Amino acid sequence: MLDLNIDIRLQRGSFPVEMAVRITEPVSGVFGHSGSGKTTLLHCIAGLVKPDSGHMKLNGEIFFDVAKKQFTPPHKRHIGLVFQDAQLFPHLSVLNNLLYGYRRLKPIQRRFELKPVVELLEIGPLLERRPGQLSGGEKQRVALGRALLYSPQLLLLDEPLAALDGRLKRQILPFLRRVRDVGIPMLYVSHALDEILYLTQTVTLVDHGRIVGHGSCLDALTQADSTELADGMDLRNVWEVTILENNRQHGFSVAALGKQRIILPPAPASEGKTAIVSVRAAQIALSRQRIEGITIQNQLPGRILRIVSRRHGALVEIDAGVVVVAEVNGKTVGDLNLREGDGVYCLIKAQSVEYPDG
Amino acid sequence: MTLTPEEISALCLSAKVSAWATLLSCPLAIAMGWVLARKQFFGKPLVDALFHLPLVLPPPVPGYLLLMSFGNQGGMGRWLNEHWGFSFAFNWKGAALAAAVMSFPLMLGPVRLSFKLIGSQLEDAARTLGANPWSVFFTVTLPLALPGILSGTLLAFSRSLGEFGATITFVGNIEGETRTLPLAIYTAKNLPDGEDMALRLIILSLALAFGALLANDWLARHIERRLGMK
Repeated sequence: MLDLNIDIRLQRGSFPVEMAVRITEPVSGVFGHSGSGKTTLLHCIAGLVKPDSGHMKLNGEIFFDVAKKQFTPPHKRHIGLVFQDAQLFPHLSVLNNLLYGYRRLKPIQRRFELKPVVELLEIGPLLERRPGQLSGGEKQRVALGRALLYSPQLLLLDEPLAALDGRLKRQILPFLRRVRDVGIPMLYVSHALDEILYLTQTVTLVDHGRIVGHGSCLDALTQADSTELADGMDLRNVWEVTILENNRQHGFSVAALGKQRIILPPAPASEGKTAIVSVRAAQIALSRQRIEGITIQNQLPGRILRIVSRRHGALVEIDAGVVVVAEVNGKTVGDLNLREGDGVYCLIKAQSVEYPDG
Repeated sequence: MTLTPEEISALCLSAKVSAWATLLSCPLAIAMGWVLARKQFFGKPLVDALFHLPLVLPPPVPGYLLLMSFGNQGGMGRWLNEHWGFSFAFNWKGAALAAAVMSFPLMLGPVRLSFKLIGSQLEDAARTLGANPWSVFFTVTLPLALPGILSGTLLAFSRSLGEFGATITFVGNIEGETRTLPLAIYTAKNLPDGEDMALRLIILSLALAFGALLANDWLARHIERRLGMK
């Protein structure tokens, strides 16, 4: 459960920050360009930065209220924070890093024990080492474990993958998903939308020190209409599929996506296992009828839920068993006379499907 | 090389005076170093300059100022004597105070720098893991500043061993009480047949200074390894 209510104003360097949002979704992302004020927002929530005015409430508890002269320091907020560069204590072993917050809890406050967390993040062999002897990805896993063992009522993640290269990112992503699934409310800050969408479809958009949108991707985008941030958002569909068949001879896999079958590039998972797939909204085309004699193998029938127009096109949300978002040229919406409730086929090239963590 | 009782007395006195001087300045240097590294306040450059004055003043000047304030006729000196029966005048405690004042900037420098180099992000990490400000200081800041504190301490100790001008001005040159190694060298040199003694004391000083500096280097490396910095 999460109910974060924040309405704050402060001066950060030369630009004013004015942010108001209410977040009740247990897992959501904060998206914005570098320097837009995302980290400031996070630090205000954690209590590391004290706003000049406004108020903040988490799950009914007032943490900051300038009118009531109230400010709860970070160590009394019980909010965890994972930093971009892990910030492990270099003079402590991995084990003592992990237990740093855990030891400060009363036994009754502890929701997680060392062993399951170590297993979840696969850091068993590292326990005796010093942070200086760890790779970037290992450090970040330990930092996640350290925050988890503190059993925070809200876990803030500040660009935890930004310092890692593409290969390491893929390796850490599944761990983030595991952390998400243990049930701690999470706020994931990133300037990379694909990372956020990998974890959640709920975003808060931050632009020039303001919150310009909040909600599901399409809702937030609609609110943030015509900002440069919204225009630049490269939406992605992220689905969990179950692999049905790995056809090595012809180099493709077949998977179940909801009740539909979808052809994919060779899957990194074996038959019967699940995999996460991602397709850019701009890679999906729509047609009124099933098309014969075309190389696009996936033609998923569905019904249009809504159409959102943006500066360089239109976003069409379709219920095809799973929710599909397709980005098409604005003119074609008119040409095809697409409306909410209409039946369409989502055309997805197998080759446009990616495995973000595979 | 055998040492005469006078020489042994000078050596022991030097060690005692320097040890107390260092012990006295260490907590203050940690507190001041932290404040100067982390806090912004009105008059900070002034405070900073004040602590560094002994480094640039002719040593008799701080010695004379100490005499005026902590001598038996000085305000602080009289107060301490009346209320606590404690006196710095013409005894080894005064020598320790003089050495502490003179070596303080040498300790403050490395301590302050090491506090400055510890990223505030590590402290933030500790704060978001439930550590209160004292806890943060003692479990994160202080251990990480240890190499700097140690290096400053040894530097101050070595400097105290060599303290001359302020000591002789403040507490005089009394055998067995305030005649530390440098004062003993000075005294021996002025004796008609004291050249042998001076030479022996000089060799002793050299050995002591070298030892302290080498120990400093070894300890710093050892601690850095322990802290996982290397």
